[in-house]
Amino acid sequence: MVRTFGPFVPVVLVWWVIAEAEVFPPDLFVGPGTVLAEFRELIAKGILPAYLSDSFTRLWTGVLFGLLIGIPAGFIVAMSRWARRLTWPLLLFFQAIADIAWLPIVIVWFGFSLTAVTFVIVYTIVFPLMISIVSGVEEVPKDLVQAARSLGAGRFRVFTDVIVPGALPAVATGIRTGLGYGWRALIAAEIIVGTSGIGFMMFDARRAGVVTGVFVGMIVLGILWYALDALILAPFERGTIERWGMVRTAEVGR
Amino acid sequence: MPGLTSTEDALSSGIRPSRRGRNLSRRLGAAFWFAVPFVALAITWAVVVEVTGVEARTFPQITDVVRAFGEMWTSGEYLRHTGASLRRVVLGALIGILTAVPFGILLGSSRWASVFFAPLLRFSVALAGIAWIPLATLWLGFGERAVIFIVWNATFFALTYNAMLGVQRIPTQLLQAARSMGTSRPRMFVEVMLPGALPSIVTGLRVGLGYGWRGLVAAEIIATSAGLGYSIFLAQKFFRTDIIIVGMITIGLLWLVTDRALLAPLERRTVERWGMKAVIS
Repeated sequence: MVRTFGPFVPVVLVWWVIAEAEVFPPDLFVGPGTVLAEFRELIAKGILPAYLSDSFTRLWTGVLFGLLIGIPAGFIVAMSRWARRLTWPLLLFFQAIADIAWLPIVIVWFGFSLTAVTFVIVYTIVFPLMISIVSGVEEVPKDLVQAARSLGAGRFRVFTDVIVPGALPAVATGIRTGLGYGWRALIAAEIIVGTSGIGFMMFDARRAGVVTGVFVGMIVLGILWYALDALILAPFERGTIERWGMVRTAEVGR
Repeated sequence: MPGLTSTEDALSSGIRPSRRGRNLSRRLGAAFWFAVPFVALAITWAVVVEVTGVEARTFPQITDVVRAFGEMWTSGEYLRHTGASLRRVVLGALIGILTAVPFGILLGSSRWASVFFAPLLRFSVALAGIAWIPLATLWLGFGERAVIFIVWNATFFALTYNAMLGVQRIPTQLLQAARSMGTSRPRMFVEVMLPGALPSIVTGLRVGLGYGWRGLVAAEIIATSAGLGYSIFLAQKFFRTDIIIVGMITIGLLWLVTDRALLAPLERRTVERWGMKAVIS
Protein backbone atom coordinates (compact mmCIF):
# COMPACT_ATOMS: atom_id res chain seq x y z
CA MET A 1 0.00 0.00 0.00
CA VAL A 2 2.74 2.39 1.05
CA ARG A 3 4.79 1.43 -1.96
CA THR A 4 1.93 2.21 -4.30
CA PHE A 5 1.00 5.58 -2.83
CA GLY A 6 4.22 6.67 -1.12
CA PRO A 7 6.00 7.94 -4.24
CA PHE A 8 3.27 10.53 -4.69
CA VAL A 9 4.45 12.55 -1.72
CA PRO A 10 7.16 14.48 -3.60
CA VAL A 11 4.70 15.03 -6.43
CA VAL A 12 2.18 16.60 -4.07
CA LEU A 13 4.93 18.80 -2.67
CA VAL A 14 5.91 20.04 -6.11
CA TRP A 15 2.25 20.65 -6.86
CA TRP A 16 1.90 22.65 -3.67
CA VAL A 17 4.89 24.80 -4.55
CA ILE A 18 3.63 25.50 -8.05
CA ALA A 19 0.25 26.52 -6.73
CA GLU A 20 1.68 28.71 -3.95
CA ALA A 21 4.02 30.46 -6.35
CA GLU A 22 0.96 31.19 -8.52
CA VAL A 23 2.77 30.03 -11.61
CA PHE A 24 -0.67 29.69 -13.13
CA PRO A 25 -3.59 31.99 -12.43
CA PRO A 26 -5.35 30.82 -9.26
CA ASP A 27 -8.72 30.58 -10.92
CA LEU A 28 -7.33 27.97 -13.28
CA PHE A 29 -5.01 26.09 -10.98
CA VAL A 30 -5.35 25.36 -7.31
CA GLY A 31 -3.11 23.73 -4.78
CA PRO A 32 -3.49 20.56 -2.75
CA GLY A 33 -4.67 22.47 0.28
CA THR A 34 -7.63 24.00 -1.52
CA VAL A 35 -8.45 20.71 -3.17
CA LEU A 36 -8.36 18.89 0.15
CA ALA A 37 -10.60 21.49 1.76
CA GLU A 38 -13.11 21.24 -1.07
CA PHE A 39 -12.90 17.47 -0.87
CA ARG A 40 -13.75 17.52 2.82
CA GLU A 41 -16.59 19.92 2.25
CA LEU A 42 -18.08 17.84 -0.52
CA ILE A 43 -17.94 14.80 1.71
CA ALA A 44 -19.44 16.65 4.64
CA LYS A 45 -22.29 17.84 2.46
CA GLY A 46 -22.79 14.33 1.29
CA ILE A 47 -22.45 15.41 -2.34
CA LEU A 48 -19.32 13.47 -3.14
CA PRO A 49 -20.45 10.17 -1.63
CA ALA A 50 -23.78 10.47 -3.42
CA TYR A 51 -22.20 11.20 -6.79
CA LEU A 52 -19.60 8.53 -6.27
CA SER A 53 -22.15 5.91 -5.49
CA ASP A 54 -24.21 6.95 -8.50
CA SER A 55 -21.23 6.62 -10.77
CA PHE A 56 -20.21 3.39 -9.16
CA THR A 57 -23.62 1.80 -9.42
CA ARG A 58 -23.85 2.64 -13.10
CA LEU A 59 -20.38 1.34 -13.73
CA TRP A 60 -20.79 -1.91 -11.86
CA THR A 61 -24.20 -2.64 -13.33
CA GLY A 62 -22.71 -2.20 -16.75
CA VAL A 63 -19.64 -4.22 -15.87
CA LEU A 64 -21.70 -7.05 -14.43
CA PHE A 65 -23.88 -7.35 -17.50
CA GLY A 66 -20.83 -6.93 -19.66
CA LEU A 67 -19.09 -9.83 -17.97
CA LEU A 68 -22.23 -11.97 -17.97
CA ILE A 69 -22.66 -11.45 -21.68
CA GLY A 70 -19.07 -11.17 -22.78
CA ILE A 71 -17.44 -14.13 -21.10
CA PRO A 72 -19.87 -16.83 -22.25
CA ALA A 73 -20.23 -15.22 -25.67
CA GLY A 74 -16.48 -15.00 -25.99
CA PHE A 75 -15.98 -18.65 -25.22
CA ILE A 76 -18.86 -19.78 -27.41
CA VAL A 77 -17.42 -17.91 -30.37
CA ALA A 78 -13.91 -19.08 -29.54
CA MET A 79 -14.82 -22.72 -29.49
CA SER A 80 -16.52 -22.88 -32.86
CA ARG A 81 -14.46 -22.39 -35.99
CA TRP A 82 -17.41 -21.20 -38.01
CA ALA A 83 -18.61 -18.80 -35.35
CA ARG A 84 -15.13 -17.36 -35.17
CA ARG A 85 -14.81 -16.91 -38.89
CA LEU A 86 -18.20 -15.31 -39.17
CA THR A 87 -18.00 -12.99 -36.21
CA TRP A 88 -14.32 -12.05 -35.86
CA PRO A 89 -14.42 -9.22 -38.44
CA LEU A 90 -17.69 -8.02 -36.94
CA LEU A 91 -16.18 -8.03 -33.45
CA LEU A 92 -13.24 -5.99 -34.65
CA PHE A 93 -15.50 -3.55 -36.41
CA PHE A 94 -17.87 -3.03 -33.52
CA GLN A 95 -15.00 -2.61 -31.13
CA ALA A 96 -13.64 0.03 -33.50
CA ILE A 97 -16.82 2.06 -33.23
CA ALA A 98 -15.83 4.12 -30.21
CA ASP A 99 -18.29 3.16 -27.51
CA ILE A 100 -19.12 6.79 -26.96
CA ALA A 101 -20.23 7.06 -30.56
CA TRP A 102 -23.15 4.88 -29.54
CA LEU A 103 -24.49 7.49 -27.13
CA PRO A 104 -26.52 9.49 -29.62
CA ILE A 105 -28.38 6.54 -31.04
CA VAL A 106 -28.82 5.01 -27.63
CA ILE A 107 -30.29 8.30 -26.46
CA VAL A 108 -32.73 8.16 -29.38
CA TRP A 109 -33.76 4.67 -28.26
CA PHE A 110 -33.82 5.04 -24.50
CA GLY A 111 -33.85 8.76 -23.88
CA PHE A 112 -31.55 10.44 -21.41
CA SER A 113 -31.77 7.57 -18.99
CA LEU A 114 -29.87 5.11 -16.91
CA THR A 115 -30.58 2.39 -19.48
CA ALA A 116 -28.79 4.41 -22.11
CA VAL A 117 -25.68 4.78 -19.98
CA THR A 118 -25.72 1.14 -18.94
CA PHE A 119 -26.02 0.04 -22.55
CA VAL A 120 -22.95 2.03 -23.50
CA ILE A 121 -20.92 0.59 -20.64
CA VAL A 122 -21.98 -2.97 -21.40
CA TYR A 123 -20.99 -2.41 -25.02
CA THR A 124 -17.64 -1.02 -23.92
CA ILE A 125 -16.85 -4.13 -21.92
CA VAL A 126 -18.28 -6.86 -24.15
CA PHE A 127 -16.27 -6.34 -27.29
CA PRO A 128 -12.72 -6.03 -25.95
CA LEU A 129 -13.52 -8.95 -23.68
CA MET A 130 -14.78 -11.17 -26.48
CA ILE A 131 -11.90 -10.28 -28.73
CA SER A 132 -9.43 -10.99 -25.96
CA ILE A 133 -11.04 -14.33 -25.15
CA VAL A 134 -11.19 -15.46 -28.76
CA SER A 135 -7.53 -14.70 -29.38
CA GLY A 136 -6.63 -16.13 -25.99
CA VAL A 137 -8.32 -19.41 -26.70
CA GLU A 138 -6.72 -19.53 -30.11
CA GLU A 139 -3.34 -19.17 -28.49
CA VAL A 140 -3.73 -22.12 -26.17
CA PRO A 141 -1.08 -24.47 -27.57
CA LYS A 142 -2.64 -27.29 -29.51
CA ASP A 143 -0.26 -29.80 -27.95
CA LEU A 144 -1.85 -29.20 -24.58
CA VAL A 145 -5.27 -29.89 -26.01
CA GLN A 146 -4.04 -32.99 -27.78
CA ALA A 147 -2.20 -34.17 -24.70
CA ALA A 148 -5.36 -33.91 -22.68
CA ARG A 149 -7.34 -35.75 -25.33
CA SER A 150 -4.77 -38.49 -25.58
CA LEU A 151 -5.16 -38.96 -21.84
CA GLY A 152 -8.81 -39.61 -22.46
CA ALA A 153 -10.36 -36.25 -21.66
CA GLY A 154 -13.72 -35.65 -23.24
CA ARG A 155 -14.58 -32.37 -24.94
CA PHE A 156 -16.05 -30.91 -21.80
CA ARG A 157 -13.02 -31.66 -19.65
CA VAL A 158 -10.69 -30.33 -22.30
CA PHE A 159 -12.69 -27.15 -22.11
CA THR A 160 -12.72 -26.78 -18.35
CA ASP A 161 -9.26 -28.04 -17.59
CA VAL A 162 -7.22 -26.84 -20.54
CA ILE A 163 -8.95 -24.11 -22.50
CA VAL A 164 -10.42 -22.06 -19.67
CA PRO A 165 -7.26 -21.85 -17.55
CA GLY A 166 -5.22 -21.27 -20.70
CA ALA A 167 -7.46 -18.41 -21.72
CA LEU A 168 -7.63 -16.92 -18.24
CA PRO A 169 -4.82 -14.42 -18.80
CA ALA A 170 -6.67 -13.23 -21.89
CA VAL A 171 -9.86 -12.88 -19.85
CA ALA A 172 -7.94 -10.81 -17.30
CA THR A 173 -6.46 -8.60 -20.02
CA GLY A 174 -9.84 -8.23 -21.67
CA ILE A 175 -11.46 -7.17 -18.42
CA ARG A 176 -8.71 -4.69 -17.76
CA THR A 177 -8.98 -3.15 -21.22
CA GLY A 178 -12.75 -3.16 -21.10
CA LEU A 179 -12.84 -1.48 -17.71
CA GLY A 180 -10.36 1.11 -18.87
CA TYR A 181 -12.69 2.05 -21.69
CA GLY A 182 -15.75 1.51 -19.53
CA TRP A 183 -15.19 4.09 -16.86
CA ARG A 184 -14.09 6.64 -19.40
CA ALA A 185 -17.26 6.07 -21.35
CA LEU A 186 -19.17 6.50 -18.10
CA ILE A 187 -17.61 9.88 -17.43
CA ALA A 188 -18.34 11.06 -20.95
CA ALA A 189 -21.90 9.78 -20.68
CA GLU A 190 -22.36 11.52 -17.36
CA ILE A 191 -21.17 14.79 -18.82
CA ILE A 192 -23.46 14.46 -21.80
CA VAL A 193 -26.51 12.84 -20.30
CA GLY A 194 -25.78 13.73 -16.74
CA THR A 195 -27.84 14.49 -13.81
CA SER A 196 -25.47 13.08 -11.26
CA GLY A 197 -22.18 11.31 -10.93
CA ILE A 198 -18.54 12.33 -10.87
CA GLY A 199 -18.45 13.26 -14.54
CA PHE A 200 -21.43 15.46 -14.07
CA MET A 201 -19.88 17.00 -10.95
CA MET A 202 -16.73 17.94 -12.84
CA PHE A 203 -18.60 19.45 -15.71
CA ASP A 204 -20.92 21.30 -13.42
CA ALA A 205 -17.96 22.78 -11.58
CA ARG A 206 -16.48 23.76 -14.90
CA ARG A 207 -19.70 25.45 -15.86
CA ALA A 208 -19.61 27.43 -12.64
CA GLY A 209 -15.97 28.24 -13.31
CA VAL A 210 -14.91 26.54 -10.08
CA VAL A 211 -11.73 24.74 -11.02
CA THR A 212 -11.39 23.18 -7.57
CA GLY A 213 -14.37 20.97 -8.16
CA VAL A 214 -12.86 19.79 -11.43
CA PHE A 215 -9.58 18.99 -9.69
CA VAL A 216 -11.35 17.08 -6.94
CA GLY A 217 -13.24 15.02 -9.48
CA MET A 218 -10.15 14.21 -11.52
CA ILE A 219 -8.08 13.26 -8.51
CA VAL A 220 -10.80 11.08 -7.06
CA LEU A 221 -11.19 9.33 -10.41
CA GLY A 222 -7.48 8.97 -10.85
CA ILE A 223 -6.98 7.52 -7.40
CA LEU A 224 -9.87 5.10 -7.78
CA TRP A 225 -8.80 3.77 -11.16
CA TYR A 226 -5.14 3.75 -10.22
CA ALA A 227 -5.91 1.83 -7.07
CA LEU A 228 -8.23 -0.58 -8.84
CA ASP A 229 -5.79 -1.21 -11.61
CA ALA A 230 -2.60 -1.35 -9.56
CA LEU A 231 -3.97 -3.23 -6.58
CA ILE A 232 -6.49 -5.57 -8.16
CA LEU A 233 -6.55 -5.79 -11.92
CA ALA A 234 -2.88 -5.81 -12.81
CA PRO A 235 -1.90 -8.29 -10.10
CA PHE A 236 -4.83 -10.47 -11.18
CA GLU A 237 -3.63 -10.35 -14.75
CA ARG A 238 -0.06 -11.05 -13.73
CA GLY A 239 -1.20 -13.82 -11.43
CA THR A 240 -3.14 -15.62 -14.11
CA ILE A 241 -0.20 -15.27 -16.46
CA GLU A 242 2.20 -16.63 -13.90
CA ARG A 243 -0.07 -19.50 -13.06
CA TRP A 244 -1.41 -20.45 -16.44
CA GLY A 245 0.04 -18.12 -19.00
CA MET A 246 2.38 -19.43 -21.56
CA VAL A 247 3.17 -16.15 -23.16
CA ARG A 248 4.49 -13.25 -21.19
CA THR A 249 2.76 -10.05 -22.06
CA ALA A 250 4.50 -6.76 -21.59
CA GLU A 251 3.40 -4.62 -18.71
CA VAL A 252 1.28 -2.01 -20.37
CA GLY A 253 0.22 1.21 -18.79
CA ARG A 254 -3.52 1.65 -19.00
CA MET B 1 -6.86 -15.46 -39.19
CA PRO B 2 -4.44 -18.36 -39.54
CA GLY B 3 -3.57 -19.04 -43.12
CA LEU B 4 -1.58 -21.87 -44.64
CA THR B 5 1.79 -22.45 -43.07
CA SER B 6 4.80 -23.07 -45.19
CA THR B 7 4.92 -26.66 -43.95
CA GLU B 8 1.48 -27.27 -45.32
CA ASP B 9 2.56 -25.70 -48.55
CA ALA B 10 5.55 -27.97 -48.74
CA LEU B 11 3.52 -31.04 -48.00
CA SER B 12 0.92 -30.40 -50.62
CA SER B 13 1.66 -32.36 -53.69
CA GLY B 14 0.64 -31.92 -57.26
CA ILE B 15 0.96 -28.95 -59.48
CA ARG B 16 1.37 -25.79 -57.44
CA PRO B 17 0.86 -22.28 -58.76
CA SER B 18 3.71 -19.83 -58.47
CA ARG B 19 4.47 -18.35 -55.09
CA ARG B 20 3.14 -14.95 -56.03
CA GLY B 21 0.00 -16.55 -57.32
CA ARG B 22 -0.45 -18.38 -54.06
CA ASN B 23 0.14 -15.29 -51.97
CA LEU B 24 -2.33 -13.31 -54.00
CA SER B 25 -5.01 -15.96 -53.80
CA ARG B 26 -4.41 -16.28 -50.09
CA ARG B 27 -4.83 -12.54 -49.63
CA LEU B 28 -7.94 -12.47 -51.77
CA GLY B 29 -9.31 -15.39 -49.82
CA ALA B 30 -8.66 -13.60 -46.55
CA ALA B 31 -10.28 -10.43 -47.83
CA PHE B 32 -13.29 -12.41 -49.02
CA TRP B 33 -13.76 -14.08 -45.68
CA PHE B 34 -13.33 -10.77 -43.94
CA ALA B 35 -16.09 -9.22 -46.02
CA VAL B 36 -18.58 -12.10 -45.75
CA PRO B 37 -19.80 -11.33 -42.19
CA PHE B 38 -20.45 -7.71 -43.15
CA VAL B 39 -22.44 -8.74 -46.18
CA ALA B 40 -24.38 -11.15 -44.00
CA LEU B 41 -24.94 -8.37 -41.47
CA ALA B 42 -26.16 -5.98 -44.13
CA ILE B 43 -28.60 -8.55 -45.47
CA THR B 44 -29.86 -9.36 -41.97
CA TRP B 45 -30.27 -5.66 -41.27
CA ALA B 46 -32.31 -5.07 -44.42
CA VAL B 47 -34.48 -8.11 -43.81
CA VAL B 48 -35.13 -7.43 -40.13
CA VAL B 49 -36.12 -3.82 -40.74
CA GLU B 50 -38.49 -4.85 -43.51
CA VAL B 51 -40.02 -7.67 -41.55
CA THR B 52 -40.48 -5.86 -38.25
CA GLY B 53 -41.54 -2.62 -39.91
CA VAL B 54 -39.72 -0.56 -37.31
CA GLU B 55 -40.00 3.13 -38.01
CA ALA B 56 -37.14 4.94 -39.62
CA ARG B 57 -36.79 7.24 -36.64
CA THR B 58 -35.85 4.36 -34.41
CA PHE B 59 -33.84 2.29 -36.82
CA PRO B 60 -33.28 3.25 -40.42
CA GLN B 61 -33.27 0.87 -43.35
CA ILE B 62 -29.93 0.33 -44.95
CA THR B 63 -31.05 2.26 -48.02
CA ASP B 64 -31.87 5.26 -45.83
CA VAL B 65 -28.34 5.20 -44.50
CA VAL B 66 -26.86 4.98 -47.97
CA ARG B 67 -29.04 7.86 -49.08
CA ALA B 68 -28.05 9.97 -46.08
CA PHE B 69 -24.43 9.27 -46.87
CA GLY B 70 -24.97 10.38 -50.45
CA GLU B 71 -26.57 13.61 -49.31
CA MET B 72 -23.83 14.34 -46.83
CA TRP B 73 -21.21 13.62 -49.43
CA THR B 74 -22.60 15.88 -52.12
CA SER B 75 -23.23 18.69 -49.69
CA GLY B 76 -19.62 18.47 -48.63
CA GLU B 77 -20.67 17.97 -45.03
CA TYR B 78 -19.23 14.50 -44.84
CA LEU B 79 -15.76 15.54 -45.82
CA ARG B 80 -15.90 18.60 -43.63
CA HIS B 81 -16.72 16.65 -40.47
CA THR B 82 -14.51 13.66 -41.22
CA GLY B 83 -11.69 15.97 -42.18
CA ALA B 84 -12.05 17.96 -39.00
CA SER B 85 -11.92 14.85 -36.84
CA LEU B 86 -8.99 13.37 -38.73
CA ARG B 87 -7.07 16.60 -38.59
CA ARG B 88 -7.49 16.79 -34.84
CA VAL B 89 -6.44 13.19 -34.30
CA VAL B 90 -3.41 13.46 -36.53
CA LEU B 91 -2.29 16.73 -34.97
CA GLY B 92 -2.85 15.55 -31.42
CA ALA B 93 -1.13 12.23 -32.05
CA LEU B 94 1.82 13.78 -33.88
CA ILE B 95 2.43 16.35 -31.17
CA GLY B 96 2.02 13.54 -28.68
CA ILE B 97 4.61 11.36 -30.36
CA LEU B 98 7.07 14.22 -30.82
CA THR B 99 6.81 15.29 -27.20
CA ALA B 100 6.38 11.94 -25.50
CA VAL B 101 8.94 9.70 -27.16
CA PRO B 102 12.03 11.82 -26.44
CA PHE B 103 10.72 12.63 -23.00
CA GLY B 104 9.95 9.00 -22.21
CA ILE B 105 13.30 7.78 -23.43
CA LEU B 106 15.02 10.49 -21.44
CA LEU B 107 13.19 9.42 -18.30
CA GLY B 108 13.89 5.78 -18.97
CA SER B 109 17.58 6.39 -19.36
CA SER B 110 17.90 7.59 -15.81
CA ARG B 111 17.26 5.18 -12.99
CA TRP B 112 16.14 7.69 -10.43
CA ALA B 113 14.03 9.68 -12.90
CA SER B 114 12.08 6.57 -13.85
CA VAL B 115 11.54 5.60 -10.26
CA PHE B 116 10.42 9.11 -9.37
CA PHE B 117 8.09 9.61 -12.30
CA ALA B 118 6.67 6.13 -12.74
CA PRO B 119 3.77 6.42 -10.25
CA LEU B 120 2.90 9.90 -11.49
CA LEU B 121 2.94 8.72 -15.08
CA ARG B 122 0.92 5.67 -14.31
CA PHE B 123 -1.60 7.85 -12.51
CA SER B 124 -1.73 10.16 -15.51
CA VAL B 125 -2.29 7.29 -17.90
CA ALA B 126 -5.08 6.17 -15.62
CA LEU B 127 -6.66 9.56 -16.04
CA ALA B 128 -5.74 10.15 -19.66
CA GLY B 129 -8.18 11.46 -22.15
CA ILE B 130 -11.84 11.89 -21.35
CA ALA B 131 -11.44 12.79 -17.69
CA TRP B 132 -9.56 15.89 -18.78
CA ILE B 133 -12.41 17.26 -20.88
CA PRO B 134 -13.92 19.55 -18.22
CA LEU B 135 -10.48 20.90 -17.34
CA ALA B 136 -9.45 21.28 -20.97
CA THR B 137 -12.54 23.31 -21.77
CA LEU B 138 -11.86 25.45 -18.70
CA TRP B 139 -8.25 26.15 -19.63
CA LEU B 140 -8.61 26.32 -23.39
CA GLY B 141 -12.24 27.17 -23.90
CA PHE B 142 -14.52 25.29 -26.23
CA GLY B 143 -13.21 24.50 -29.67
CA GLU B 144 -10.33 23.04 -31.67
CA ARG B 145 -7.63 23.51 -29.07
CA ALA B 146 -9.49 21.65 -26.35
CA VAL B 147 -10.15 18.68 -28.63
CA ILE B 148 -6.57 18.48 -29.85
CA PHE B 149 -5.44 18.80 -26.26
CA ILE B 150 -7.48 15.75 -25.30
CA VAL B 151 -6.01 13.65 -28.10
CA TRP B 152 -2.53 14.87 -27.18
CA ASN B 153 -3.19 14.16 -23.53
CA ALA B 154 -4.27 10.59 -24.16
CA THR B 155 -1.37 9.75 -26.44
CA PHE B 156 1.27 11.69 -24.48
CA PHE B 157 0.93 9.90 -21.18
CA ALA B 158 0.52 6.41 -22.61
CA LEU B 159 3.51 6.96 -24.90
CA THR B 160 5.75 8.48 -22.25
CA TYR B 161 5.00 5.75 -19.76
CA ASN B 162 5.52 2.94 -22.24
CA ALA B 163 8.61 4.53 -23.76
CA MET B 164 10.07 4.78 -20.29
CA LEU B 165 9.21 1.17 -19.54
CA GLY B 166 10.62 0.17 -22.89
CA VAL B 167 13.98 1.73 -22.23
CA GLN B 168 14.05 0.21 -18.77
CA ARG B 169 13.60 -3.21 -20.29
CA ILE B 170 16.55 -3.03 -22.60
CA PRO B 171 18.97 -5.68 -21.40
CA THR B 172 21.76 -3.98 -19.51
CA GLN B 173 24.39 -5.89 -21.46
CA LEU B 174 23.31 -4.10 -24.61
CA LEU B 175 23.59 -0.73 -22.93
CA GLN B 176 26.92 -1.57 -21.39
CA ALA B 177 28.26 -2.93 -24.64
CA ALA B 178 27.30 0.25 -26.43
CA ARG B 179 28.83 2.38 -23.70
CA SER B 180 32.03 0.38 -23.65
CA MET B 181 32.39 1.08 -27.36
CA GLY B 182 32.37 4.75 -26.52
CA THR B 183 28.94 5.63 -27.86
CA SER B 184 28.11 9.26 -27.27
CA ARG B 185 24.91 10.09 -25.41
CA PRO B 186 22.93 11.30 -28.42
CA ARG B 187 23.89 8.19 -30.36
CA MET B 188 22.89 6.05 -27.40
CA PHE B 189 19.46 7.59 -27.53
CA VAL B 190 18.93 7.23 -31.22
CA GLU B 191 20.69 3.98 -31.99
CA VAL B 192 20.27 1.91 -28.86
CA MET B 193 17.44 3.17 -26.71
CA LEU B 194 14.99 4.20 -29.37
CA PRO B 195 15.04 0.89 -31.26
CA GLY B 196 15.14 -1.03 -28.03
CA ALA B 197 12.10 0.73 -26.68
CA LEU B 198 10.26 0.70 -29.99
CA PRO B 199 8.01 -2.31 -29.30
CA SER B 200 6.84 -0.71 -26.07
CA ILE B 201 6.46 2.64 -27.76
CA VAL B 202 4.25 1.20 -30.46
CA THR B 203 2.12 -0.54 -27.84
CA GLY B 204 1.90 2.77 -26.02
CA LEU B 205 0.86 4.43 -29.24
CA ARG B 206 -1.86 1.88 -29.73
CA VAL B 207 -3.22 2.24 -26.21
CA GLY B 208 -2.88 6.02 -26.34
CA LEU B 209 -4.60 6.35 -29.67
CA GLY B 210 -7.36 4.05 -28.48
CA TYR B 211 -8.07 6.43 -25.63
CA GLY B 212 -7.35 9.44 -27.80
CA TRP B 213 -9.85 8.46 -30.44
CA ARG B 214 -12.56 7.94 -27.86
CA GLY B 215 -11.59 11.16 -26.17
CA LEU B 216 -11.89 12.87 -29.54
CA VAL B 217 -15.43 11.68 -30.10
CA ALA B 218 -16.47 12.65 -26.57
CA ALA B 219 -14.75 16.02 -26.78
CA GLU B 220 -16.36 16.74 -30.13
CA ILE B 221 -19.77 15.99 -28.67
CA ILE B 222 -19.15 18.31 -25.76
CA ALA B 223 -16.89 21.00 -27.02
CA THR B 224 -17.13 21.85 -30.71
CA SER B 225 -19.30 22.57 -33.69
CA ALA B 226 -17.66 20.41 -36.33
CA GLY B 227 -16.42 16.87 -36.53
CA LEU B 228 -17.86 13.39 -36.45
CA GLY B 229 -18.75 13.42 -32.77
CA TYR B 230 -20.50 16.72 -33.13
CA SER B 231 -22.42 15.65 -36.24
CA ILE B 232 -23.84 12.51 -34.67
CA PHE B 233 -24.83 14.41 -31.57
CA LEU B 234 -26.56 17.06 -33.66
CA ALA B 235 -28.30 14.36 -35.63
CA GLN B 236 -29.60 12.89 -32.39
CA LYS B 237 -31.42 16.11 -31.62
CA PHE B 238 -33.34 15.72 -34.86
CA PHE B 239 -33.77 11.97 -34.53
CA ARG B 240 -31.87 11.50 -37.77
CA THR B 241 -30.76 7.99 -36.99
CA ASP B 242 -29.60 7.53 -40.58
CA ILE B 243 -27.04 10.32 -40.19
CA ILE B 244 -26.02 8.90 -36.84
CA ILE B 245 -25.34 5.52 -38.39
CA VAL B 246 -23.32 7.05 -41.22
CA GLY B 247 -21.22 8.75 -38.56
CA MET B 248 -20.83 5.61 -36.49
CA ILE B 249 -19.75 3.52 -39.45
CA THR B 250 -17.25 6.20 -40.45
CA ILE B 251 -15.82 6.30 -36.95
CA GLY B 252 -15.62 2.52 -36.90
CA LEU B 253 -13.94 2.29 -40.29
CA LEU B 254 -11.41 5.00 -39.48
CA TRP B 255 -10.27 3.37 -36.30
CA LEU B 256 -10.41 -0.13 -37.78
CA VAL B 257 -8.18 0.90 -40.64
CA THR B 258 -5.83 2.83 -38.35
CA ASP B 259 -5.54 0.03 -35.85
CA ARG B 260 -5.49 -3.02 -38.08
CA ALA B 261 -3.84 -1.73 -41.18
CA LEU B 262 -1.38 0.60 -39.53
CA LEU B 263 -0.76 0.02 -35.86
CA ALA B 264 -1.01 -3.75 -35.52
CA PRO B 265 1.38 -4.52 -38.37
CA LEU B 266 3.69 -1.79 -37.07
CA GLU B 267 3.62 -3.41 -33.67
CA ARG B 268 4.32 -6.85 -35.08
CA ARG B 269 7.16 -5.59 -37.26
CA THR B 270 8.90 -3.72 -34.50
CA VAL B 271 8.62 -6.71 -32.21
CA GLU B 272 10.04 -8.97 -34.87
CA ARG B 273 12.80 -6.57 -35.64
CA TRP B 274 13.76 -5.28 -32.27
CA GLY B 275 11.68 -7.08 -29.72
CA MET B 276 13.77 -9.12 -27.38
CA LYS B 277 11.53 -11.25 -25.31
CA ALA B 278 8.04 -10.13 -24.45
CA VAL B 279 5.19 -10.74 -26.82
CA ILE B 280 2.88 -7.79 -26.93
CA SER B 281 -0.73 -8.84 -26.57
